[in-house]
Amino acid sequence: MNDLDLNLVPPTAGSAYWRCVESKVESERLFYSRFILSPLKVGQANTIGLVMRRALLGEIKGTCITCAKFENITHEYSTMDGIQESVHDILINSKEIVLKSKSSEAQKAFISIVGPRRVTAQDIELPTSVEVIDPMQHIATITKKVKLNIELKIEKDSGYRRQNIVEYKDGNFTVDAVFTPIRSVNYSIHCFESHDKSIMKEMLLYEIWSNGSITPEEAIYEASRSSINLFLPFLQAEKEKEDFKGEDIHESNALHPSVSIVVDQMAKKVTFQHIFIEQLELSPKAYNFLKKINVHTISDLLDYSQDDLMKMKNFGKKSVEQILEALQKRFGMRLQ
Amino acid sequence: MKIDLEQNEDIYVLPDFRKIQLEAFHRFINQGIMEELDNFPKIEDTDQEFEFQLFGEKYYLLEPSVKEGDSLYESIITNSCKLYVPARLTQRKKGKVKEQTVFIGNIPLMSSQGTFVINGIARVIINQMLRSPGIYYKSEKDPDSGEITTYTATIISNWGERLQLELDANNRIWFRIDKKHKVSILLLLLAMGLNEEKILDTVHYPEVMSDIIREAKDEENIEWKENAVSELYEQIFGTTDEEDVESYDIFEELKKEFFEPKFELGRIGRFNINKKLNLNVPKDEIFLLPKDVLAAIDYSIKLRIGVGTFDDVDHLKNKRIRSVADFLQNRFKLALERLGDLVHRRINRLTRRKRVPTIGSLVTSDPLLKTFKEFFGSYPLSQFLDQTNPLTQVIHKRRFSSLGPGGLTKRIASIKARDIHPSIYGRICPIETSEGMNAGLISSMAIYASIDHWGFLQSTLHKEYDEVLFEEQNQDMADVSAEEYFRIATEACLAVSPEEDENKEIFTVAQLQQEFLTTSWDRIKLRIISPLQYFSVGVCPIPSFEHNDANRALMGSNMQRQAVPLFEPERCIVGTGLEGQAASDSGSVVIAEQGGKVDYVDGKEITLLVNGGGTINTKLITYQRSNNNTCMHQKPRVNLGEYLKEGQILADGAATEGGEPASGKNILVAYMPWEGYNFEDAVLINECLIYENVFTSIHIEKYEVEARITLNGPEILTREIPHLDDYFLRHLDENGLVLPGSWVETGDVIVGKLTPRDPEESLKIPEGNLLQAIFGIDITATRETCLKVPPGGKGQVIDVRSVYPEDDNQYRNFIYVYILQKREIKVGDKVAGRHGNKGIISKILPREDMPYLQDGTPIEMILSPLGVPSRMNVGQIFECLLGLAGGFLKRHYRVIPFDERYEREASRKLVFSELNKAGEQTTNPWLFELDNPGKSLLIDGRTGEIFQQPITIGKAYMLKLIHQVDDKIHARSSGPYSLVTQQPLKGRSRMGGQRVGEMEVWALEGFGASYILQEMLTIKSDHIQARQKIINNIVAGEPVDKPETTPESFRLLARELRCLALNLDHAVVKKDLIIDYKEL
Repeated sequence: MNDLDLNLVPPTAGSAYWRCVESKVESERLFYSRFILSPLKVGQANTIGLVMRRALLGEIKGTCITCAKFENITHEYSTMDGIQESVHDILINSKEIVLKSKSSEAQKAFISIVGPRRVTAQDIELPTSVEVIDPMQHIATITKKVKLNIELKIEKDSGYRRQNIVEYKDGNFTVDAVFTPIRSVNYSIHCFESHDKSIMKEMLLYEIWSNGSITPEEAIYEASRSSINLFLPFLQAEKEKEDFKGEDIHESNALHPSVSIVVDQMAKKVTFQHIFIEQLELSPKAYNFLKKINVHTISDLLDYSQDDLMKMKNFGKKSVEQILEALQKRFGMRLQ
Repeated sequence: MKIDLEQNEDIYVLPDFRKIQLEAFHRFINQGIMEELDNFPKIEDTDQEFEFQLFGEKYYLLEPSVKEGDSLYESIITNSCKLYVPARLTQRKKGKVKEQTVFIGNIPLMSSQGTFVINGIARVIINQMLRSPGIYYKSEKDPDSGEITTYTATIISNWGERLQLELDANNRIWFRIDKKHKVSILLLLLAMGLNEEKILDTVHYPEVMSDIIREAKDEENIEWKENAVSELYEQIFGTTDEEDVESYDIFEELKKEFFEPKFELGRIGRFNINKKLNLNVPKDEIFLLPKDVLAAIDYSIKLRIGVGTFDDVDHLKNKRIRSVADFLQNRFKLALERLGDLVHRRINRLTRRKRVPTIGSLVTSDPLLKTFKEFFGSYPLSQFLDQTNPLTQVIHKRRFSSLGPGGLTKRIASIKARDIHPSIYGRICPIETSEGMNAGLISSMAIYASIDHWGFLQSTLHKEYDEVLFEEQNQDMADVSAEEYFRIATEACLAVSPEEDENKEIFTVAQLQQEFLTTSWDRIKLRIISPLQYFSVGVCPIPSFEHNDANRALMGSNMQRQAVPLFEPERCIVGTGLEGQAASDSGSVVIAEQGGKVDYVDGKEITLLVNGGGTINTKLITYQRSNNNTCMHQKPRVNLGEYLKEGQILADGAATEGGEPASGKNILVAYMPWEGYNFEDAVLINECLIYENVFTSIHIEKYEVEARITLNGPEILTREIPHLDDYFLRHLDENGLVLPGSWVETGDVIVGKLTPRDPEESLKIPEGNLLQAIFGIDITATRETCLKVPPGGKGQVIDVRSVYPEDDNQYRNFIYVYILQKREIKVGDKVAGRHGNKGIISKILPREDMPYLQDGTPIEMILSPLGVPSRMNVGQIFECLLGLAGGFLKRHYRVIPFDERYEREASRKLVFSELNKAGEQTTNPWLFELDNPGKSLLIDGRTGEIFQQPITIGKAYMLKLIHQVDDKIHARSSGPYSLVTQQPLKGRSRMGGQRVGEMEVWALEGFGASYILQEMLTIKSDHIQARQKIINNIVAGEPVDKPETTPESFRLLARELRCLALNLDHAVVKKDLIIDYKEL
């Protein structure tokens, strides 16, 4: 996906350049940066600004603790001997902890500390792919010589997720998770005249505050990628039109050199997952057979090769041919 | 229990807000008990052989075995101490004397918070405001001529009836008792033992009196005293049946039954009458005397001549406060009387049987126990302590009620009695009262007010000159009557700065009697000490409430009491400086009793190593339920090894932060319309208020079930419940109790219980017979009476408690299940500011859709701008702007209201200068712009466009109120019906339905909504068979068939139509065209 770059975004923006004007780390958990995108045609700045603001606030993924497991605790509204905070307070504290994870899988972490001492974020034993942003974030205070054992579950997602209480089981407490790493976004639009003083141009000034798990630059990158992903169906629609003209996909792809093949294939895959074999208008025999071997969508079908189908019992050559023909005719595809 | 009653004499320190309760209880324990025990009579048997006696002065109270904190937890305990009194039994003939200290009962104890714990429930005794006993004169005018016709004197007694003396236009004097018909005064005087000469001798105006006597003589002959008594008896009680009884007896009886108990004036009454009528009857003469009546008549005549003054019934000097001390003393007296009767009965019974009584056999603790139980359980002024948040608790203890026994009645109380009277300033809050029926009858005590030993309200004033102003030594207290004669400056001392020109006269606003006037400073003798002194604890925390309409300030103070404690409390940015005291006096905050070092701290307890040696161990309250189902939880605020001073806080309670009440949150608000979602005060909120747990609160519900022995055997607690899906039983342990920690939802069984059935009844069930025949098991011998989670009650079980009450001999087992709910804010919840600006959440917007400030911060709450002008609560604007400045500068403001008296527009200047400072210091120039001060341009999060007009934004302190949708939302498809009317029941708790009443039917008729009408009037109404059948039909998916007969409600419709001359017939045309009319 690395070939997807920002200069691809607005083909019409043409010569617009992008620059980071100011960047500062206000604290471990507060990064701030200011960017400029310029020059833009009148009106474009707001289009980009708005889309980016909403994408930054809503789409960026973050890592959070989503579940904690305590030993010998029946419910979170109880206190433990020798620990100043109640279980519930500890859960709230752990909700606040800012993490950074490379993998998007759910992972496990542990706290296992003997008191008396303060337990902070640096005391969490994390898997290698996860790191703590602010090691001094407070979790609990142990005031006696007791051991605090907590098992944590770490997940990566976007938006926020409320406690799923049904999952409550012996000492497993889910935590409300606020994944979004962006604290605030602001943009302003400034007008200026171009060199020949005839055309008005716009400059987009962008300010981003993040929680430290992601730099504002990375956030901008991710936000633009996810907004491009949002626009993919439109590109797809364009392509389908081309297909009806009977042109090759590769040709239509060539019309949009900005969209890379990888992205295209990915999008196609997603699309095929949503097209059912009914659309192939097969004969009942072939259709029923496909249903029987659990082929429901085109993408299921693409998992089989022509030979695979031929080898199947009770499946005639005619039927296979029919399928291939339909695939070719409607989607311009072949089985491997 | 230690009650500290020291008074600080030099500085004006706010009195402890609980003082009014504690002081009264202190008086009861130290004085009241003794007084009543002293009055306990010597009891003799009929032969006067034995004599029983109590020695009241040597009583002692045993310290309770249960600690104060524990009593609430153990759900059934009453916090009380045992009262022991030495008693003596003398046997006269033998000269035997037996002495023993006996236990005569439990005295409920007041906790250090000023509450009582009865059966594990905190209760509070409200002070009652009554007309003080004494004599009051008023005149009545003739409605036509406007001339004064009658002069009425009302004698109000402490205990008993009220007596009215009337001097009418013809100079005749009447009296009436309890508003009954009037009787000539002569009769009363004669009945009281006076004769003609005596009367004429004592009276100042014998002419009038002799006229009356002559007239009376003309009519009937009532010369003799005996006659007078029986006459009076007849006039008042109807008839005298026993003519034969000697008149002397009747007189004695009358005196005993009538004058004494019915006209007990009490000491206060005696004091008041002496003062008004200028008598000097000794203080101890607490009953009404003939002398009083004669003096009262004289005064009426004087009034007619024009000498003397009328009384203002609503003036506070004519009202007294009946406090816990008086209530408890009365009850104690009653209990001792009952005990006396009991001893009397027992001593007689024992001697009759020729047995020797012992002290132990004569005295029981029953009378005391019963009397106090009765009092705390059913007396209207013993109330369930309102515990919604700490502030509520304080306010509830300081409330005065004019209602209750001996007081006014809601319906008949006049507007005058409810109105603000000038004499209440500094004593009763003119703002805080309840809305609706009780307006003006339930009031609240002002913060500096106190109660003197007579029960009158006092206000604290500063003496400007060291003259002896009051007869009594009390230096700063002004009692209501004394205050009348002085001018009281109400302006601040800033008005008289010493640098001012000596010759220039300085003027100030002052209160004189019932007026406000401007007067020169030289003539001022008294001065108020704080501008807040007029107001109550509930009103004082409202910042700049001088800019609010009083009605809204009232709502604001009432709604602060309804605020739910939130998850992470946050104190207000803008306050008035009174917060600290309110929180510490609420008892929710834990305070170090002595200085020392923190030895140990965890979530449950804090141990303090005291300076002088020794330790103090404080147990913290963890997630406990309050009376209002909110959560009480204390969090330690100290660290291990920290050194503390006395009075420093150890732990914060629910809804306090750093020792200040914190029942709300500082929220970024904007006053703007947004797509009509703030129509009619509705409020829009940002999604982040949910996921950042800003308005999340904890509610703990208590469910209770009792297992006892029935006629057919004991009820069984078990998890084996026949005919119930295992799914609903999944949380039960083997004893049928729910496991703590489990998440339960509506319909789940939390206590599995089986009640034995009547054996005869169970035989009738067919499958029971079959099962018994085949397997020999008696499966239907029991009925399931499980405790199930009601609709909307889902949550986490945090505690299950099984309690066996001690005092009962019967086997009973109470099971309490505590279910905790965590509630985020949601659409339909009520939120409010402190200025009476309330609203319902109408929509929750994602943060990217919210309008945002010029620095990108999304607004958290959008309020309607139309909510300000008509409500006249401008204080909210000042608060929110100053809050904005404070939010940016990270500073908290404590501004005492009424700063306007120092300077014009002082509030506005303060707010703008702070905003300007905030703008400069944080380089956010948009915070204060000269073109639109206090407003700022906002940007729409959906379009990125700037809104046309600048918008007022700020940080307001918003509260989440206890009125939440979760407790109110309700729907019914089918449910229970009332047995008699066969209409659906009312109310959510009973799964009730919505009534389709007369007017609703008219509406349906008017719109011709025939299908709904048909449904409502036939199958959904009182047609029992049809509505049972319809459920089966719906479940089976069959068509709904129409009922064949007509229900009553349809008949009513038919009758109504007949009234309109429209007949409705139901006819079936059979074969051969025979028409069969059916009755409707």
